[in-house]
This record gives sequence, structure tokens and C-alpha cells, in this order.
Amino acid sequence: MAKVFVIDYKGCVGCHNCQIGCKDEHCGNDWSPYAKPQPLSGQFWCKVNQKERGARPHVKVSYQTTLCNHCDDAPCVKAAPDAVYKRDDGLVIIDPEKAKGNKAIVGSCPYHVIYWNEELQLPQKCTGCAHLLDGDHPINVPRCVDNCHIEIIRFGEEKDFDLSDCEVLHPEYGTKPRVYYKGGLPKKFVAGTVYDPDAQEVYIGAKATLSGDGDTFTATTDDWGDFWLRDLPDADFTLTIEADGKTKTLDVSTKEKDIGLGDIALV
Amino acid sequence: MVDQTSQLKPNKTVVRPIACGGTGGDPVAIDSKDGKLIRFRPLRWDAEYTAEELKDSWWEVEVDGKKFSPDIRDAPNYFALAYKTRVYSENRVKYPLKRVDWEPGGDPDKINAQNRGRSKFARISWDEALDIIEAELRRIIDSYGAFSVLCIGEDGHRESKDLQAGGGMHATVMNQLGGYTRESRTPDSVEGWYWGAKHFWGSGSNRGLGMIAPPETNFCSWNVCYDITKYSDFIAFHAGDLELTQNYASQFWSRLLKYWEELGKEFVVIDPFCNYTAVCHETVKWIPVLPNTDAALDFAIMYVWLTEGTYDKDYIDTHSIYFNKVCDYILGTDEEGIPKTPEWASPLCGVPVWTIKALARKWAKHTTSLVHFSSGSIKGPYSHEPGRTHAYKIAMQGLGKPGVQQFFMNASDMSKQTLSKTTTAPLSMCSKSRMFYPTVQSVPRSAVAHALNDGELKWWGSPCIVYVPTDEQFKEFNYPAPADQGGTEIHLLWSEKPCNMNCWNGGFNYQEAIRTPKVECFITNHQWLENDSLFADLILPVTTCVEENDMVGASQIVPLKIASYQVPACDTVGESFSDYQIAIKVAERFGVAENINLGMTDEEWLEYAFEQSRLPEEIDFETLKTKQYYIPKTDPDWKDMPAGMRNFYNDPEQFPLDTPSGKLEFWSQALADNFPDDKERTPMARWIIGGPAEEGWTHDETPFGEKAKTYPLLLIANPARFRVHVQGDDIPWFREIETTKVRGFDGYLYEPLWISPVDAEARGIVNGDIIKVYNEQGVILTGAMITERVLPGSIMIHKGSRVDPIAKGIDRGGAANLISPPRSISKHCVGFAVSGYLAQAEKLSRAEYDEWKQKYPEAFAREYDPATGTSYASWVEGGQ
Repeated sequence: MAKVFVIDYKGCVGCHNCQIGCKDEHCGNDWSPYAKPQPLSGQFWCKVNQKERGARPHVKVSYQTTLCNHCDDAPCVKAAPDAVYKRDDGLVIIDPEKAKGNKAIVGSCPYHVIYWNEELQLPQKCTGCAHLLDGDHPINVPRCVDNCHIEIIRFGEEKDFDLSDCEVLHPEYGTKPRVYYKGGLPKKFVAGTVYDPDAQEVYIGAKATLSGDGDTFTATTDDWGDFWLRDLPDADFTLTIEADGKTKTLDVSTKEKDIGLGDIALV
Repeated sequence: MVDQTSQLKPNKTVVRPIACGGTGGDPVAIDSKDGKLIRFRPLRWDAEYTAEELKDSWWEVEVDGKKFSPDIRDAPNYFALAYKTRVYSENRVKYPLKRVDWEPGGDPDKINAQNRGRSKFARISWDEALDIIEAELRRIIDSYGAFSVLCIGEDGHRESKDLQAGGGMHATVMNQLGGYTRESRTPDSVEGWYWGAKHFWGSGSNRGLGMIAPPETNFCSWNVCYDITKYSDFIAFHAGDLELTQNYASQFWSRLLKYWEELGKEFVVIDPFCNYTAVCHETVKWIPVLPNTDAALDFAIMYVWLTEGTYDKDYIDTHSIYFNKVCDYILGTDEEGIPKTPEWASPLCGVPVWTIKALARKWAKHTTSLVHFSSGSIKGPYSHEPGRTHAYKIAMQGLGKPGVQQFFMNASDMSKQTLSKTTTAPLSMCSKSRMFYPTVQSVPRSAVAHALNDGELKWWGSPCIVYVPTDEQFKEFNYPAPADQGGTEIHLLWSEKPCNMNCWNGGFNYQEAIRTPKVECFITNHQWLENDSLFADLILPVTTCVEENDMVGASQIVPLKIASYQVPACDTVGESFSDYQIAIKVAERFGVAENINLGMTDEEWLEYAFEQSRLPEEIDFETLKTKQYYIPKTDPDWKDMPAGMRNFYNDPEQFPLDTPSGKLEFWSQALADNFPDDKERTPMARWIIGGPAEEGWTHDETPFGEKAKTYPLLLIANPARFRVHVQGDDIPWFREIETTKVRGFDGYLYEPLWISPVDAEARGIVNGDIIKVYNEQGVILTGAMITERVLPGSIMIHKGSRVDPIAKGIDRGGAANLISPPRSISKHCVGFAVSGYLAQAEKLSRAEYDEWKQKYPEAFAREYDPATGTSYASWVEGGQ
């Protein structure tokens, strides 16, 4: 019975269709008793967070969709048991009648996905488009899922998914989220272009080794002279680059950010 | 659970392609209830057809055992999914509007031309609007002749419509009233190919656009996408951003890119901006290049190929002429004597020597295709040079060889339908707005301001600029046309595409050109109060496509072309009418309406369009109406069609190009004969940096000239992801996407200025600062967004935000094209140069901000809603 969202953030191309679909479904449409209309702007029941990573020319952007985690141990339910309820399918719903005026519900969510509608004096958030799941509508899945043209966001029975390589946001909150990130959450990278300043040529096949924190990661430079060390933990590392008997050592840290080292002269 | 939501259950679902271009896109299913829109959602193709019925309309490719085909659910472009906000925009023009201090009649003292873009509007009735239009047209035609009416907006992007389309309905009316001056569309988006590459490889796509296409298929490039999928293992996006271009018709391209990744292809994005394709695909290598220096980079790549012998010598021998001249230039064995080495190019283009070499070798080692989709150097000053060097590169690696192709919007089809005549043409058409009537007097769109300012204009080209063969570039034209043929200066502007100032070049210059009493009347038809309409005297409210009945399918940059039939999805907003209906209303005043609608109802027109098309071979009209869409059957032999330039590759004698020699012409005798003294576009591509006007140069827009001493930053104006050119800047759901706008200290959402940390620090700029970006054309305000996605020395502003005029030469909206060069690409090429030009960026201090506020109180007092960026109420008295 219990449903989950499974999001593959690595495959996301940043189209924001999920965010737009959510707005199209809820802005200006009254889905009582599931939800009152979302304001035209300013609320994000489904939101794509963008993060620019690395440094020129090793730059990537991660796009990570976030929504209500429909927690099994939801703080919002605890904060207002009369107004917020959990359905059998796992979705957490704020009852727009009973929650009216109860601003404390907004503050109860550690994920900050509940918004205050000033005009309606209502706490509001993602409903999982429960009205579509229950009703006789043209579609019967959440709009963010229907709008995702590359199936990055999926929704369905928990038992139908392999959740073994998934992570949830902030498990330490102990709220038991039902939104899973396939392949885990964004990790750091270290990248650079290795070249020979005398020959003015890139090094193809140079070895880049990152050690620290008890771990070692390695990569080999490609036709661009580039190495990309991906899926790194947050740690202080020593980067060693080797080619043609030459070696260069650098200290890098992924604790704060991804590292794009640009062009690295190997002499 | 009790369902209490039945009041919002749709009682109507309309299937409609919505696209900002002219040829439709993947359709949305629009749910509505009692005339009010509920939602716009992707369509499942099996909504009206069984799998068995769809089977023959599907395609599938298989490479290395991996299969790929269209998804059963389509992928409408970004806009279509957010179109509810466009239909119900705060910014909709619902009623005819008249500028309050404009008095019809042509009296210079009562026109208040200087107040265009400053004074407000007031609602008037349709009767009054039509009275004014009739009287003004009669007066102007009597006084000056019919050619004094300039019809603006031929073709171009404006929703996707057919019967109800604008962009030429005014011309259709004027044709009944004695003629008009035609504002000819220039080859926007493809300038470099058009003015440059056509002299190398012939007329190209659609017999004129300049991207390569084979003459023997009537210049249609079939199976390029299939060929790349099968054979290319390296794909270069040089002036191409597929993830961004999905704003045009379909988001299918994300899936194609993922499939290509799955097949192990490799990619490079060569772009001044780390574009939207580069940032989200791990497999993509980004090579940042300084804006509009691509020709230098290309020559260095070719230098490596020449010196290392890694190009297709046999192909060049049999398929081209005058290669030796380019070789001499590149190797420095000509009179100039400068070898175009990577060391020569690196300081010019900002790419390290080692990366240039790596790129050249990678390109040569692999089977490489080039993807072009708008943007980049192809729209800059002297764009004919990179247009040609890009073409040289593809040629040197054996253009037409399996996997060596040029991929572009008209060469993006996977498969072919039996009914498809071309890679772009709609499956049915009855539009009366795109007749491209020849007319004695015409003005290129890129030079309207010039014509108005100077009262005369000389240019070379064609009144039918876009879809014409190469030699039409050699014809000389003059405005006004000879008086004995009716030639006269322009005194009335009528626009069905009122965005020249931020879609085309030299926008501030254009604003001033229409602020003269010589322009006695300026009428616009438009759905939203924006851009050129703010400078109009009379604004006519137009329906959005969603409110109309029409027959718009999809025929370009989509995975499946379709025919489609629509009834209105919702009630008409306000008192708006389609451009077609407006034309008929005006024509009625002159007793010529029947010459336009031929006495036929809309339904009769749609049925006529259907009957005239090839659709009846596969479906009947009633079935199409019932099901609303139809995917024609796939040609069973589509995979056997020669891919792209394969015939030319295999047999250049039997399948020649339409160049004078039939071969690739690295040096053009035709250019040498027609423009022997042109030092900007010489018979072959060169590295051209321009110089001072007094020395005969059109541009001085590189870091190496005089202008750069004052304005040192190269500005890139790539298209925006969440706009199409200027369309959609008021969509609140887009404006709040991170990176779409930047909130200033005053709460205004400014257009982002993407600036490198180096340049920001040098100017004391931090994120969120309000930044003046300026040059000799004027000042636009932007919001600082410090990023690693641009090179130091360059800045990026996505083109197309709406204008928000503060004063002459000062704009708050951040529309980059306002400060783009008003001049043509080069002396003989009347295209636009709207990216890769010089500017300076500087923080707007609080003191200066306050000073401006004092100086221009009206502009700063305008009401403003950050959600939509509109201030309708502040432009229209009473807010209606």
C-alpha cells in the first residue's frame, strides 16, 4: 500500500518540468479537501535546487528535486495531529479546513517544505497530488511525475522499487522520509587538465590519485588531458599526478566545495 | 475518501501543439472546465489510438543492440507546460488601447512622437480603434501613397498558428489597398551560414538558409540524425545547445542525448558560455572560447590537421576547389605570412594551446559531426567568417561520409513520414499571413531604424531574404524605391510582431527612430503589453493560440510530426481577436474583406487546408476532428534514404552542390567578382577584427581595437533557456527558477549578468548587485550573478528580456539587444550582429540609483510586480 517517490538526481537535465507541473496543477486550482490553491508564485511544493559546481573549465550544475518527504514519523503530524494526517498510501496531507490559521505547522518541518499562505492563512505543501490518485481525473500520478519526460522522478509502491542504493535527505532527523534519491545524494568531484608546459601538449593517460581520510581514488587523464575524480566524500586529500616519470602533488579539500583545478602544468 | 473535487473535473480536453516558433511542437493536452483552463499536460500518444494503430507511425533505431524510439508520452517544450500563465497573464492586452497623448491626423504637434515609450494608454472601443485605423490608412495612402505603410513582422516566431496566424495579415490587407513596404525578415539564427557558408557550399537548407543540405532532395537533409546515431563517435556542439533549444518545440532531445551517451559517444561544447547541455551531462567536455573569436580557433585546428596530415586529402581533391588558397593563408605561405598556429590563436580566442591541439586531434581521430543550434558566433559581427570556418572544418573531414554531418534544426528528423514533403513544412497549411508577396519597396528588418533615420537605404540581398539561393546576395536594392514605381518614405508602422527592439539589433537606435514625427502612426497587434507595443500609438488585443480554432500540427525539431485540429480550449480573454479576424475587421472598412476570407468560414478554411494537403491519403477530416491529432505513417524505406550529404560524398559529379562549380569553393570567384573591394567578407574566410569606421570598417568589436579600450568586455547574448527570444519573460513560474532573474536591493527582478569572479572582483561586484552594462548605444541594468560559466573578459546576458524604459538610452529590463550594434554584419550583409560585441559593466551605486530616481520619477514610480515583471496598470489608465 505504501508509496514512495524515487528520484534519480544524476540523470536530471534541469528542465524544471516537475516544478512547473506542480504549479500548473495547484496554482489557481482548488483541490479541496486535499489542498487550497497555491499562490501564483513564491511557494515551491516541488522545487529544483541548482548548484553550480567546480571551476572553469570543469564546471557542472547539479539539479536536485525536493518536495515534501511524506515522512512516516512526520513532525508536522505531531505538531498538529488534528489538522495533518497520514494516509494509508503514505502521503501526508495538511487539511486546509482544520489547519487554517495554524502557522506552527510551517515551523515544524525540518526540511522547510511547508509554506505559509498569507492570503488564505494556511500552511501549504505538496500533497503528492492525492486528488489525482483518488479521483477520476485524466491522469492518476503526481504532476511532477507525469511532467518528467525522462522519468527521473518516479512514484509507486515501495515494494516495486529497489531502494538498496538510495539515500534520503537528512536521515539524522529521524523522520523516516518516503522520498528516495536513487544512487545517493550529490557527492563532490575533483577535476583538472594536465599538460606539459614545454611541449604545450596535454598529457593523455596521466594518473591522478587522491588519498586521504583512509580512502584512495584514482583516475586517468583522457584525450583532453582531463581527469575527473567523482563521487568523493567531503574530506582533505592529497592529489598526486604522475606521467612520464614526473610527479606533482597538491593538497585539495572537498569539505567546502567541488574542485576544478583548471590547467595543471606537470614539470 | 469522499471526492469533493468534481467541480474541477475537466469537461473538455483540447490537444494542441503550443510553441513559440511557427511550426508547432509536441502537443499538450489542455484540460478545461466551462471555458476556464485547469492544466496543460503532456499527451500520451495512445490517448486516442491503440498500439496497433500507432505501430506504423512509430520509428525505432537500433545501434549496438541498443534500441531507441519515441516515448509513448510526448515531451512538450517548456512554454507549453506553463502556458496557462501566458493566457491569463497580468500583462494581457484585453481591449484596444490608444496612447493618451497621440492624436491621429499626422499633425507633428499632436502626435507627441517623443513620448512613445513614455506616455500611457487608455482603453477604447473596437469601433473607435477601427475608425482610427481606417481614417489613418486613408489619410496616409492619400498623402504619401500606400508604400508609406511599413508592415512589420513577416514570418518570425509568434506562437504556432495557421489560419489564425499573424505576421503578415496586415500585409494581406494592404495588398488590397494598393501595396505596402515590406519589412523583410533577415536570416536571424543562421546569419553566419547564410552570409558566409553559402558561398562555400551553396544555398543550403530550404534552398537558402545556409546550413548544408543536398540540392537533389530540394535542399532537405534527411537521416542526418540517424547517420550520426549510427556512425559518429564524437559530436561537437559549436554554437549549439540542445538542452536549451528544447524551449522551441519538444524536449525529446534530452532522451536522444542520453541514448547517444549510452552508445558511448563523446561530446564537446565549444562555447563562450558553459551552456545547458554542458552542465548537466557528465560526458560533455566544455571548451570555453572568447565570444566571436571562433574563426581563430578554427584556423588553428585546421593548421594542426594540415601540418599533421589528418584531414581527408582525397575528398578535398575530388570535392572542392581552391583549397590551396586557404592552405596558404593558414600555413602563412601567402602574402600575409602569418601561420595560424595554435600559438597564434590561443591569445586571440582564450583557449590554451594544448587544448586546441587536443581538440584538433580528437576531431580528426574520430568520426565527428557538428551540431549547430542557434547562438554563438553565428550571430556576431562578421559572422560570415566563423560560418565559413565551421563549414571548412566539416568539409576537411569528409562532409557526407558516414557520421560526418551537420546537425541543425532542419536536419534533426529521425525517420521520414511518407506524407512529409520537407523536413520542416507543416502537413497542412491555409495561413494567409505568410504569402511573402513580392513588393516593389522593402526594407530588411535589421535596417528599419537606419531607413527611418536616414530616409534612404542601400543594401544587397533580396526582398525575399531567407529562402533564396546564394546569388541573390549580389543584387543591389534601394529604399525608397523609384518614385515612378510608387516608392516613398515610410510614415505608418503596423506591426504583428512588436519586438524588433529586443529581438533584433540596435534596439535603442530603433526606439529613437520611431520617436520621430515622421512616424505618424504606429499600430501593433499583440497579446501582451510589452516591448515595441509600449512605443505604439494604438494596440490591438490578440487572442492566444489556446483561444482559437485552428489546425496546427508539428513539423520541426520534433520526434514525430503530426497533423492536429483544435477548437478553443477556453473562453476568449477580454475583447481579443486573432490577427486574421482583425485583418478582416479592417478590410471590412474598405469593402475588401471577401478578398481575404473568400467568403469562407473558419471551418471551411480548415477543411479546405485538409483537402489540399496529402493527409486525406491516410485519414479523413472527421476522424482528425474527433481524435484531434494524427501521426502520419512512417515511410517503410526511410532508413535507406541517403543521409545528409551522402550522395555528394559518394559521387560529387552526379550530385553536385549548387555552387557555381558544383563543388565546395574554399575561395569564391562570385564574391571576388561582385564585391572586389570588400575587405570584410573576402572571397574566403579570414580572421577579421575590423577597425575604425573612418577606415571603412563596419565593426570594431574585438578586444584588439580602439573600442575595447573603453568597453573591454565581450558580451555574449545566447538565447535564454526559459524564454524563446523575447517570448515568455512574464511567466512567473519561470522567473522564480534559480538563475532566471536576480533580485536587486530594490526588489526588482533584474536580468542576470553572468560574470566571472575575476571580472567581478576587479569591479567590486558581488552577487545581487545592480549592474550597468553599457556601451556607446546606451545602458541596460542587470543583476550580478558571479559564475564559473563564462571566461574572464566576457560577460553573458541571455537575450530577450522585456524592455522597461527609464529614459532615452537607459533601460531597466536588461534586454541585451538594445545595446547591440545597429550596423549590419558587414558592409554587404544586412544581417544582425547581436552577440559577441563590446560593453562595459559597472556597479550602479546607491547614489546614482537615487539620482536616477530623482531624475526619472515616472519610470521609477511605475508599479511593479516581481512575479510577472509587469506594470500593466502603470502603463494603462484605469488598469484595463
